[in-house]
Amino acid sequence: MKLELKSRQVCLFIIAFFPIVKIFTAPSVLSSFASNDLWISTLIILAVDFIGLLAIVYAYKHTKSDLFALIENTLGKFWARTVFVLYFVFFFLKAIVPINEQKDYVELTLYTLMPSKLYFLPFFAVALYLCCKRLRVLGRAADVLWAFSVLGLIVLISLSIPNADYTAILPIGVNGFDGIFKASYSVLNWFCDLPYLMFFIGNFRLKKGDGVKIAISFLISVIMIVVFMITFYSVFTSIAYRQRFALTEISKYTAVINNIGRFDYLGIVLILVSNIFALSLPLFFACKILDKIFNITKKWISPIFVVGAQLVILLVFTRNFASIENFMKTYASAFFFIVGNILPLFLLALVKKEKKYAKNI
Amino acid sequence: MRKTFKAKIAIILVVIAFLFFFSNDFGLIDVEKTSIITAIAIDKENDDYLVTAQIAVPEATDTNSENLKAQLTGKGSTVGAALKDLGDVSGWFPKLAFCNLILVGNSLTNTNVIEALDYFAKTLRVQDSALVALTEKDAKEVLSSSTPLDNISAFALQKIMFKTQGFDNDVASTDIKTFCVGHYSKNNSSYMPLVKMVSSGEDGANSGQGGTKSQGGSSGNESGEKTKDKKVLYDARSTALFKDGHFVGELDSDLTLTLNALTENFKGTTLPVDGVLDSSEKKSNYLLSVTGSKHKIKFVKGDVPTLSIKLSLYCKISDHAVEGSTEALSENKPLPKELTDKTHDIMRDRIDRLVKKSIETKCDFLGLNEKLYRFNHKQYSQYKDDLLSKMKVQITVNIEGQK
Amino acid sequence: MKLQKSLTQNTDYIKSVLSSDDVTFLSLKIKETDAVLIFVNDLIDKNNVGELILRPMQEFSGAIEEKTLFQAFHSPEKKCVYTADEVVTDTLLGNALLLVDGLELAFSFGLKFFEKRAISEPPTSTVIKGPREGFVECLPVNVSLMRRRLKSPDLKFEYLTVGKYSKTPIALCYISTITDIKLVKNIKEKLKKIDIDAVLDSSYVSKLLVERKTSLFKQVGNTEKPDILAAKILEGRVAIFVDGSPIALSVPYLLVEDFQSASDYYNSPYSATAARSIRVLSVLFALFLPALYVAAELFHLQLIPLSFLLTIVNSIKGIPLSPSYEMFFTLMIFEILNEASVRMPKYVGMVVSIVGGLVLGETAVTAGIISAPTLMIVALSGICLYTVPELEQTFSVLRILFLIIAGATGLYGMLLAISALFIYLISFESFGSPVAAPFSPLIKEDLKDGFYKGFIQEMTYRPKSIKTTNKKRLGGQD
Repeated sequence: MKLELKSRQVCLFIIAFFPIVKIFTAPSVLSSFASNDLWISTLIILAVDFIGLLAIVYAYKHTKSDLFALIENTLGKFWARTVFVLYFVFFFLKAIVPINEQKDYVELTLYTLMPSKLYFLPFFAVALYLCCKRLRVLGRAADVLWAFSVLGLIVLISLSIPNADYTAILPIGVNGFDGIFKASYSVLNWFCDLPYLMFFIGNFRLKKGDGVKIAISFLISVIMIVVFMITFYSVFTSIAYRQRFALTEISKYTAVINNIGRFDYLGIVLILVSNIFALSLPLFFACKILDKIFNITKKWISPIFVVGAQLVILLVFTRNFASIENFMKTYASAFFFIVGNILPLFLLALVKKEKKYAKNI
Repeated sequence: MRKTFKAKIAIILVVIAFLFFFSNDFGLIDVEKTSIITAIAIDKENDDYLVTAQIAVPEATDTNSENLKAQLTGKGSTVGAALKDLGDVSGWFPKLAFCNLILVGNSLTNTNVIEALDYFAKTLRVQDSALVALTEKDAKEVLSSSTPLDNISAFALQKIMFKTQGFDNDVASTDIKTFCVGHYSKNNSSYMPLVKMVSSGEDGANSGQGGTKSQGGSSGNESGEKTKDKKVLYDARSTALFKDGHFVGELDSDLTLTLNALTENFKGTTLPVDGVLDSSEKKSNYLLSVTGSKHKIKFVKGDVPTLSIKLSLYCKISDHAVEGSTEALSENKPLPKELTDKTHDIMRDRIDRLVKKSIETKCDFLGLNEKLYRFNHKQYSQYKDDLLSKMKVQITVNIEGQK
Repeated sequence: MKLQKSLTQNTDYIKSVLSSDDVTFLSLKIKETDAVLIFVNDLIDKNNVGELILRPMQEFSGAIEEKTLFQAFHSPEKKCVYTADEVVTDTLLGNALLLVDGLELAFSFGLKFFEKRAISEPPTSTVIKGPREGFVECLPVNVSLMRRRLKSPDLKFEYLTVGKYSKTPIALCYISTITDIKLVKNIKEKLKKIDIDAVLDSSYVSKLLVERKTSLFKQVGNTEKPDILAAKILEGRVAIFVDGSPIALSVPYLLVEDFQSASDYYNSPYSATAARSIRVLSVLFALFLPALYVAAELFHLQLIPLSFLLTIVNSIKGIPLSPSYEMFFTLMIFEILNEASVRMPKYVGMVVSIVGGLVLGETAVTAGIISAPTLMIVALSGICLYTVPELEQTFSVLRILFLIIAGATGLYGMLLAISALFIYLISFESFGSPVAAPFSPLIKEDLKDGFYKGFIQEMTYRPKSIKTTNKKRLGGQD
């Protein structure tokens, strides 16, 4: 099998795309449940993710088959297809809320004068185009976009620091387990990114030390997310939960902005470019899964179906989006947790089983 | 996908883009149809809000032309409705992204001011980084006043309120976000500068700088004819205090300066110290320049919350007036003990008065409830209802020569 | 057709194919045997014909057979051909062909002579410091220019002929110990497959070689300077010379190549890095400034600082066109002036400058038809694009495209277009090398000669973006 990625690209993929989707509306959702403890809620989800990441790195190390082949070799074709269907549903659902949130963001913050849906719809054309590409394009995109994400975040956070009162995160844990866990549970839609990494299995060769590098990359992304969350809360404290679009709000209080205009848009634009890719990721993987399940060889069939369906959802359910979002934050979160955090742990067993088979043969 | 099919798709996309580009009329409002609102004044008339917007009107003349202003007033049961009313009658789409100043009229002091200001904090169409200030009179009157400082009064007002190090410690500047954060925090208290108009002694009609072009709104005709003729200056050195959104009192200029000394970087501020008696019983007046400052407000652990306020100021003499003295000012000259003692006494007294004002108005403008909540959560739950009245206070002031 | 023993039969056949007045069939005798010398009048050096062919023929005393005759001629460039088709091709290439009665072959002598342009500095890439020689239209001269720079036995030239009617000689040039031989084979196969009437310039070949024929982007590098081409060959690329063209091609092509200039390597790395940064910044200005200006005016006023906005509104007040139309038409006028200035005879060039600069620009602003900021942005964008002249055509199309998108959908539309372009570029390969390298895929070592120019001592290895058989270029073989 031709290797599509390099381990460096996997590391940069984590840094480029993991923090981005989480800094739009997730901070406000988190602070509505956990207020000043939003960073603890974030750390809890990411800690659970980290355990899953270790299982995935183990799989990177000990198998040369891709995910489908790994499941097929150990559990049979039926189970391989079942698991893939599950992941298709996961990715499809995972894309809905962030895409709608991005539409709102674009309309409300970028186009303040009479926004039209037309301004956002071209996103689906770009997503369609990306979904027609191979996995290696994601790796190459990560090679560049990590700089956009990191630079964008640095610009926004450094502009926010003068207005942030970091003591606002005190007292720690005052919201109790209930609030903290409820916050973690409600934002699983934006988190649960491990399945992306699962689909990299067998697509690159893990050299010595690469596992540690992947773990370090994940920790860097955790730091980026947590620092953003803490800064966000420190800027807004008691009214943090009302700031739906943290990204635009956080940095505009600096004196520099008053003097030279919205300089912070430079950071926002960098993050928006990364986010176009980050939002397309679930659609990309949903397409690849569809190709695998139905053995589709024409590269544009699955993208048309998947991206088209998302477009229809966005257009048809615009008015009911609050209830869809609510559904995602409540019932669907359990599904996201199981498929996004629990299932990756089974990779350990699958890889061991495959090794055993290989020995017997 | 076949190459020709791809090319066809690309051509269709380009054609669509061209169509959009040249039709260009899907709810688009370009810059000429937009009113660039630079400031907003909110007043209350009966149960309705009167929102007056000051709009910068660029002039299509040579590059030296100064911008003029227009003023429109809208009326509505909420601030949002009043703004809509304003757009409806002018045909201009109110663009609030550049609105950096919101003036609250004195007619709102009897109501909960948050009801009006929350609109700006909630909507994404307005920058909640806009400065907010209470006016001694109707906000509209202040906004429509004419000043020798700038053609547009909002710009003149912003000049005295924007934070510039060493220049603005006389004014307790606040933006919408900070005001709302204070209100929704454990303190339930906020403050904003109180703007008073002072005559500049200059007559607008003779100055040749009359740039005010006024237009009537739907409900409000241009008022303030008197202020238009007389040029005014603005004094924002007093501070209006709010508890639960209601106006509860005022800090004079001395207390405002002290509040700033305890809450922000005080470097560069000047401090007049008058009537210092030296060893020869001569009275001297000094102007001290603060070269550095340190402040710390914290609760000392104990059965009863004890507030410890520590303020250290590092000063140098900026000016010294004494009868018969020919001595030159020296940068490195140590501060006379009489001067440091007097300054110490003044600052201590002011801090004391500031705390008393807080207790008296029940306005926690020093953020003490939030402090106790953050650093001594257990004690907070015990004292959250009457912290200000029950706490003990320790004040330490230290005045030194420049470092 | 194979050549026969009968001279008449061979001559008749060739005459039927080469029945043109400029082809001479000179009847001669070698001792007592009949012979015919065939050549194209204006392609041959007639002095050399006398010296190198006719005189040895008169002095010849040996037996009329292939080996002895071949040795008798003094011409340094000689060979035997055995088919009538080869005779025809060689004649048209400018060789003199000698047919001898009784021999089933013809002797081909390379005695080409035609007027050629002198070597001069190419107008498209002038330098302040560094070599000034440029390629010319004559293939042998270009080959000699390369040989002069790379005096290595490993420098190989392989010749092919392309074009049904033009029979254009093409030379492939590479260093056998550096270049991946699979790449050479691949190019050769592609060149052999070309079936076209004529190849009149190297650009024909570059268009016929590419994998994505509809692409807006270049996929084959080109240069007019031997020093640049030598550097490219040393990085593992294959050069292609086409007779009749002063522009040599090189593959694989990387986008970053066009941001590099020959002078970067002759100046200090600091000034080279600064120059490259300016080029990148200029290209960004050129591509996005008109689009951003229109997007900001139509959709995102908040992006512009208030005082600047008021100045802009001051100048656009009263302009009858909407900002997007205004920018589009001004840009179109710029493109028209640009096109006209290239094609117009030099002595009327001044008229274009005056009409374009003063009449169209100044008067239009004074008359209130277009605004001063728009004119300024178009002028700046136009100038900026010429900092990377190789990509001028591609970027001027993209500039219009971005302007249309920005005018139709604003900043987010622009970001989406940039993303689509980015996806396109990163999935795009030129002969196995990713065109967006060394940025995507990220190749750390190659970044030393990316937008940043490292010290020569740091550049130990050849670019990894291009497959080579010998990776090290500094301090011996790998």
